[in-house]
Formats: sequence, C-alpha cells, structure tokens
Amino acid sequence: MSNVILFNLTTVLFGVASALYLGALYAKNEKFSEFGTWVCVLAAVVSTAALGVRWYESYQMGIGRIPVTNLYESLVFFAWSVNLFYLVVERKYRNRTFGAFVMPIAFFTMVFAVYNDSSIQPLVPALQSYWLHAHVITCFVGYAAFAVSAGVALMYLLKARQEEAKISVGIVGLLPPCKMLDDLVYRAIIWGFPFLTAGIITGAAWANYAWGTYWSWDPKETWSLIVWLVYAAFLHARITRGWHGRRAAVLSIAGFLATVMCYLGVNLVLSGLHSYGGG
Amino acid sequence: MVDEKRTLSPMDRVWNFFTSVKLAIVTLIVLSVTSIIGTIIEQNQPPEKYHKIYEDWAFALMDRINLFDMYHSIWFLFILVLFTVNLSCCTIDRFPKMLKVVRNPRTKLDGSLEKTLSLSDRWKRKGPLSEWAVKYGDALTASFAKPKVTGDGGEVHLYAETGVASRFGVYVTHLSIVIIFIGAIVGNVLGFKGYVNIPEGESVTQVPVRGGIRIQDLGFTVRCNAFSLETYPSGQPKAYKSDLSVIDGGRETVRKTIVVNDPLQYKGIWFYQSSYGQAGGATAKVAVSRKDGAPMSALALAANEPVPIDGYGTVRGVNYDQNFRGNGPALQVVVEKPGKPAASFWLFQASPDLDRQRNDSLFFSFGGLSSKMFTGLQVAKDPGVNIVWVGCALMVIGLIMAFFLSHQRVWVRLAQGTDGRVEVVLAGSASRNRLAFEKRFEKLQAGVKAAGQ
Repeated sequence: MSNVILFNLTTVLFGVASALYLGALYAKNEKFSEFGTWVCVLAAVVSTAALGVRWYESYQMGIGRIPVTNLYESLVFFAWSVNLFYLVVERKYRNRTFGAFVMPIAFFTMVFAVYNDSSIQPLVPALQSYWLHAHVITCFVGYAAFAVSAGVALMYLLKARQEEAKISVGIVGLLPPCKMLDDLVYRAIIWGFPFLTAGIITGAAWANYAWGTYWSWDPKETWSLIVWLVYAAFLHARITRGWHGRRAAVLSIAGFLATVMCYLGVNLVLSGLHSYGGG
Repeated sequence: MVDEKRTLSPMDRVWNFFTSVKLAIVTLIVLSVTSIIGTIIEQNQPPEKYHKIYEDWAFALMDRINLFDMYHSIWFLFILVLFTVNLSCCTIDRFPKMLKVVRNPRTKLDGSLEKTLSLSDRWKRKGPLSEWAVKYGDALTASFAKPKVTGDGGEVHLYAETGVASRFGVYVTHLSIVIIFIGAIVGNVLGFKGYVNIPEGESVTQVPVRGGIRIQDLGFTVRCNAFSLETYPSGQPKAYKSDLSVIDGGRETVRKTIVVNDPLQYKGIWFYQSSYGQAGGATAKVAVSRKDGAPMSALALAANEPVPIDGYGTVRGVNYDQNFRGNGPALQVVVEKPGKPAASFWLFQASPDLDRQRNDSLFFSFGGLSSKMFTGLQVAKDPGVNIVWVGCALMVIGLIMAFFLSHQRVWVRLAQGTDGRVEVVLAGSASRNRLAFEKRFEKLQAGVKAAGQ
C-alpha cells in the first residue's frame, strides 16, 4: 500500500537527517546540519502525506478512520510529532545541534514501526468514538514534547561536565550553552505537561462514556498517572525549589523513561484494557 | 536560623511540615513509585490465581499489606490524603499572601525595586513633568496597559501590568485536584457500579453491585428486546447492539439501541454495552397451524424438550440438519399423542406447507433455528462525575494560566532633575518567559521614548 511506502521513505529520511546532524557535530561542519534541516522538512512533508494517504486508503477499504489506532500507526504518529516539535524548536532557538539528539529518537521509532504489522485493520467497537481523536492527539503531542526534553537533557549532561571542567573541546564543545539547554528542558515540559493532562482527561472522559468508569487503575491509566506525577514533581522542584541543571535533567530523562513505559511497556509487557494498542 | 527554629511552637512546626514544597515533591515521587507495584502485580484477581504464582508465605504477606488491591488500601489512601492535605495547606498558606501582592502592587519604582529589575532604561526630557507623565501614560495605554498614576513629592510614578491571572494559575490547578477528589468521593458514596446479563426478551429491575453482595434496585425495569452482532466482511466484530426498553410506571418510557461508546441513560443511571453471549442452547422456531391453514401458535423447541399442545399431545425437536438430503435446513420432530405410538418426521424450512400432506389435525412448519443471546451491561450511577469534569476543566485552564500567561509589569518614574530637565526611568519585569518579554520591552521602550517627540 502506498502509505506504507511513504512511511518507509520517511524512515530513510529520518535516518539520513540523524546521520547529517551527527555528522555535523563530528566533522564540525554546519553545512551538514543545514542540509539535515531540509531533510527534516522533506520528511515532515512526506510523513504528513503518508498519514493523509493512509487515512484516505482506509476510506477506500470501507473502514474510514483516523490513522492513530494501533501500534504501527501510533509509532509513526509519535515520530511525526517529534519531527514537527523538533523543527519548531530548531527554528525558535536557531541551533541545529539538537537534531543529533532528537532526530535519532524519531528514526528508531520508525525502525521499530517497520517491524510491526502495517496493515489497515477495522476498528473494534471499543475504539469507535470521537474521543479517540482528542485522546490520541493530545497524548502524543505530550509524548513528543517529553522526548525533545529528554534529548536536550542528555545534551545538558554532556555539556555540563565540560563546562565544569572549563574546557570546550570536541563534539560537545559545539553544543549550545548549558543555560539554553537547561531552559529548553523546562520549556519542552511545560508544553508537554498540559497536553499530557488533557490526554489523561480525554481518556477518562472516553472511558466513562464507554465503560461507565472514568478511572479504574488499569495499568495504562496508572502509568500515565506515574508520568504525570514525575513531571509534576519536576515542575515543583524547578519552580519553587530552584532545581536547575543536572538534577532537573536527570528528572526529565526519568520522566521520559516512564513515558516510554506508559506508551510501549504497558502494551508489550503488561496487560489491560489498552491491549488493542499492542497489536 | 538555628535559634529561630528552636523557638518555633510545635503547632508551627506541624504547619511548616504540611506547607512545605519538599513534602509535595516527596509525596509525588512516593505516589509514582508505589503506583508501579499495582501495574506489575495484577490487581483484584481470584486468590487461586495468586497461589499459582506466589509461595504461601509471600501470598500471606502481600495479602496482608493489600498488594492485590493496593489502590484501595489504607496505606495508599493515606498517601493520597497526605498529598491532598499538603496541597490544601500550601494553598491556604500562600494564596492570601499572593492576593495581597496582586491587590497592592508596588506601584512606585523606588531605588531598591529598580535594582532588582534587569530591564530598564533612563533618559531626560525638557518641559513640564506633568505633560510628560500624560504623554507616557497614553503611550503605555496604547501599547501595553492603562497605567496607575501616583504622585509622590516631586515625582510621578506610572505602573501598568498584564497577565496578572498567571499568578492564579497554580491555585486554580491545585483547587482542581481537590475538586476531582471531592467528585470521586461523592461518586463512591452516593453512586454504584454494577453488572448485569439480560437474555433477549427478558427484563431486570435489580442489578448486582460490583465487588459486593449488595443488590441495587433500579426503581424501573429494563428489558432487552434483542441483541445483535455485526461483523466486518473479514469476520472481525464491527458492532455489538442491544435494543433496550425502559419500563417505568407500567409503560415503556424510553427505547434505545445501545452500542459500545453510546450508552443509555435513565434517571441518572447509565447502561453501557459491555459483553454478550449465548443464553442457553439454540431453539427451533416451529409454527403450529390447523388443517385449514389457520395459524394456532408459535413454539420454540429446545433440543429434546417435549412441548405440550393442548388437546393434541407433545412435540419434541430431536435432530437438526443444515442440509437434509439436499433440501436445505430441516428439523426432525417427534410427536407423541396419548395412547398412540410416537411419530417421527422431518420439517423442511424451505417448504413450510409440506407437512400438510401428513394426515393429522395439526401441521407444523419449521422457521429456522434461533439462538437466544444475552447482553452484558455495565450499570453505573455516579452523581460525582460532573464534579470531576468541572475539576478536569479547571485543571487545564489552571495549567494554561500558569504556564502560558506571564505577569508582566512596567514602571515609569518621572522626577525633576537638578538640571531642570525631567529624568525618566522605564523598567519592567515578567514572571515567566523573560526572553519573550525582553522583545516586548524593547518595542515598548522605543514606543514610549518616541512619544511626544
């Protein structure tokens, strides 16, 4: 199917972009990362088209539904969100070194997606709801923001070690200053947090409409709460207790690990109401 | 510091404990870490299942600390209560202070305040001070907000602010959590959750409550008229449909076909499509008619169950063939009349009149097999749910206020300089997103400076 071909092309583009950003750091050549930006823009166009085509193809098959309903689709949608979120950050902060740390997340997500079933399956009755759109989109914007934050937090940890030693050599020397990285770790989270909150709320509203209970401590719900609590702790530590730098970066990475567990771990390792997401 | 701590009364210490953000962070982390347990140990399973996984001593220990239903355990509840108390105390402690600051802002830019502001500019102008004050006031109104003007000795102070709501964001968010908990408690105390199976054509007036022995009276009757299952061409389930009727006060008041994600609501009680199944074995539909063709009755024959017909005898379905001798679906029945030998014959679904040829007072037509289904419904009443939604809406609003609004303040001080000119100082600050404010301040600075030139 043509949407899968386009998604495969997207995977290649994400790979090329990651290589270019990493290459730019390694060779200390801005040209590579400038080219990387264009590859990311192209990947954004191709993957958006792929989502559109997949949506259209589902209608042709007589199923007709938004392409965010199984593991394959959620993975490509996550990668799509990360790429867009990254492009916004790159433009706003006018710094291309982030790409080396963020685009590989999008790339490996797509590689993982390729190993999953990519066929368009009809919706089981439980998923036939308008809440699906609001729930999935808000969650994934949140996840993408947390991914960007964790990528930048990793950059921060590398950079901070050098700044402390008062040296600026090698690849790490090219990274933006610690202050900027630290700020971005926080900023990505204040975008992600309201979206995650909205994602949990729309999920609760949907569960209430489908099952008559808005919260049932199912593993997926519980893990989304765990993610929410970790970032709530981050925000309190940051805003009222002045946690900056290393501790904030570590907490951001911990939050993202919890996010990955919530998103993938629950479906692949645990069982529960969201079992259809693991298909 | 040490002395001060020693002089604190026990009451103050308790208060300080409950109003500390440190406690909030610790509680958040403890809640998140303990919550993991219940996602690894499957909750609320039958004991036999746990016995298969765990040794007896481990089972006893885990059962004792409620690890098999940990989210409803006393200790987990305790952490949630601690969390809520902490949150409420923080709000009670800080909200009045914040309100005071917001109500009585520092409208005068004095030296000590000026020192704390990173964004400032100063210049001098010829002419009367009061005229410049008006000009700058208008400039601020046009490009920022209407300033508050205060005079103090020979000086005039202008103060303008925007986005003051951002200061309330955190309190709205905290309040929303308390409201959600209140909603959850109301739902738990005043509501119920149950589950019921209703076979097609049957009714219920009561529902067994989930996780208990209590039976909940509905106060009306719910009848399942029919259940149907739709599939996609591939055979995957497409829709589960239950045709339900509500009978209240002896008449049908509501009739609705519910599917998953589209429940029925009556008098605050919701019915959700949840499950389905076959109610008993299949039955054969058999129409009974008189010799002259006048229909008499319709029977539903269960396998090998004799059904009596008044003044006639009994009829019993004994065999079914999907394609009997190439003539399609057929039912074998046995008719027994008192004092006569049993007669056995086949009825063909495709030829309903064929049985007339049999010389008897009644004849039978086979109308096909019907498997009676039951629908499984979740039944819930939750008077707290709307309180929860109010809390949820407030939470999103609070977060947007806290993270995307910024309390921006601008001061202008005009003073008569020793050289006869007016000395002007412009300064500003923002509660968050200082980068964006810097840009705004630069524009404002240019605008104000150019005013009246």
